Amino acid sequence: MSSTTQQADRIRSIDDLEVIVDTDFHLTERQEDIFPYLESPFDEMLNTQGGDDYGYLGRVYPAHGMVYSVTMGKADSETVRTADDIQKGKDLIEWDKAIATPTQNLYLGAVHHDDLAAALATAYNNWLLDEVIDTDNGVYGAAIVAPQKPVEAAEEVDRRADEDGIVAVMIPSGSVDPTLGNERYYPLYEACERAGLPIKMHNAGGTMMTRFPSTWKSMNRALPVHATSHNMMHQTNLADMITQGVPERFPDLEFVIQEAGLGWYPYFMRRMDHDYMGAKWDAPMLEKLPSEYLKDQFYLTSQPVEGADDPQYLNQITRLFEGEDNLMFSSDYPHFDFDNTDELLKILRSEFSSEEIQNIYGKTAERVYDFD
Amino acid sequence: MATNDTQNPETDGLHHVASADELEEGERIIADVEGREVAVFNSNGDLYALSNYCPHQGGPACEGLLSGTLEVDEDEDLVWSCEDEIVACPWHGWEFDVTDGRHTASDKYRLPTYDVREIDGELYVGL
Ligand code: FES
Repeated sequence: MSSTTQQADRIRSIDDLEVIVDTDFHLTERQEDIFPYLESPFDEMLNTQGGDDYGYLGRVYPAHGMVYSVTMGKADSETVRTADDIQKGKDLIEWDKAIATPTQNLYLGAVHHDDLAAALATAYNNWLLDEVIDTDNGVYGAAIVAPQKPVEAAEEVDRRADEDGIVAVMIPSGSVDPTLGNERYYPLYEACERAGLPIKMHNAGGTMMTRFPSTWKSMNRALPVHATSHNMMHQTNLADMITQGVPERFPDLEFVIQEAGLGWYPYFMRRMDHDYMGAKWDAPMLEKLPSEYLKDQFYLTSQPVEGADDPQYLNQITRLFEGEDNLMFSSDYPHFDFDNTDELLKILRSEFSSEEIQNIYGKTAERVYDFD
Repeated sequence: MATNDTQNPETDGLHHVASADELEEGERIIADVEGREVAVFNSNGDLYALSNYCPHQGGPACEGLLSGTLEVDEDEDLVWSCEDEIVACPWHGWEFDVTDGRHTASDKYRLPTYDVREIDGELYVGL
């Protein structure tokens, strides 16, 4: 094959893509959309004529009280509630197909009135089917369920399973309590399986924090806690420290982050930079990008190295956070999950120079800990 | 070609945008200058011209809110500053300083700036 042909095959822009599917296209549903679809007894119980915009229903859903760019008027947030709104979004994103995802109902799982939560899920789905889904135009949707009531949620799935355009079941997962491994959810899972529908899980910043501390309690095994809590807690602390300017205030201070694996770290650097670019005002202390503070003042220790059976992964991950300067070997011996000394070396030597390996295996530690 | 008597050497090579009294303090005009969208701001009485194309994802950067931003002072107290000098792109809220086009968080990104002049009550931009 000539190089010209190969070049012609390359994707240069989205115009070269055969199909674009937006799997998380958000609606901005309001109570005035949902209330007309509420079923008995909640339609009789609530004043369904009242309220404006989010209306009083907003008080049923928890609010996290944080200030965002939209609140400050620095970014627009389009309304997506009607076919015209959807078309506007479709024209902008240029999708061929989209799966509509709620906004306010991402918080549904945190609603304290369980029966009302289940009724709101049903009402949202009625609205979705009536007003939003339009398969001829590529608009699909996920039937939402209230995780507070798994049996009712299963019935909801059964009811929606054959509706045209329902392609998934949506669990507002940021606020589930207990976590989704609990057997109480099995009826819901059985229903989804019966329906042949995948489950979409979507957190919202505010909901996760309503459950984060109790999440530990609801995981009744060690493995999920060990696999997630180290990096989750580090991310939480680091995000807060950087946003509040700790490394800026203490420029000579260095921090060593231990025992949380590596892959989350380049992700976290980039996630922080990404968010910071749109919210400098929320971290006004900072003089440089979050990732630069992390590279300048923070170090990772190696154990436990995940993915050691996948050298390509590990080499790339290590490069992505400039591990040649920021990674320090550790074994965690004699803990049950300790790493042998050559575990990392076997992999890194195919990618990193001897000098860089020397750094990882000791030179960096000498600088950080200043042994003499 | 015959010389044009009405030609003004001062405005040579410049593009007319609007008359100056159309641009009040705190306002902006988005003009099409040779196929480029250029925003002319009147920020606290001074004129600035910037590209309306956001280096992030191509949003209409200069059509967003013109306001200030939060900073910290010497005592590390929060202060509201640069009032009417910061424009936020309406797509994702990236903030740019209209006086020099720089992103508030990173020197890696900036909106191109252009020469802007008021001549005889009319506004001109040079690309
Ligand atoms: S396109 Fe301007 S902030 Fe994203």
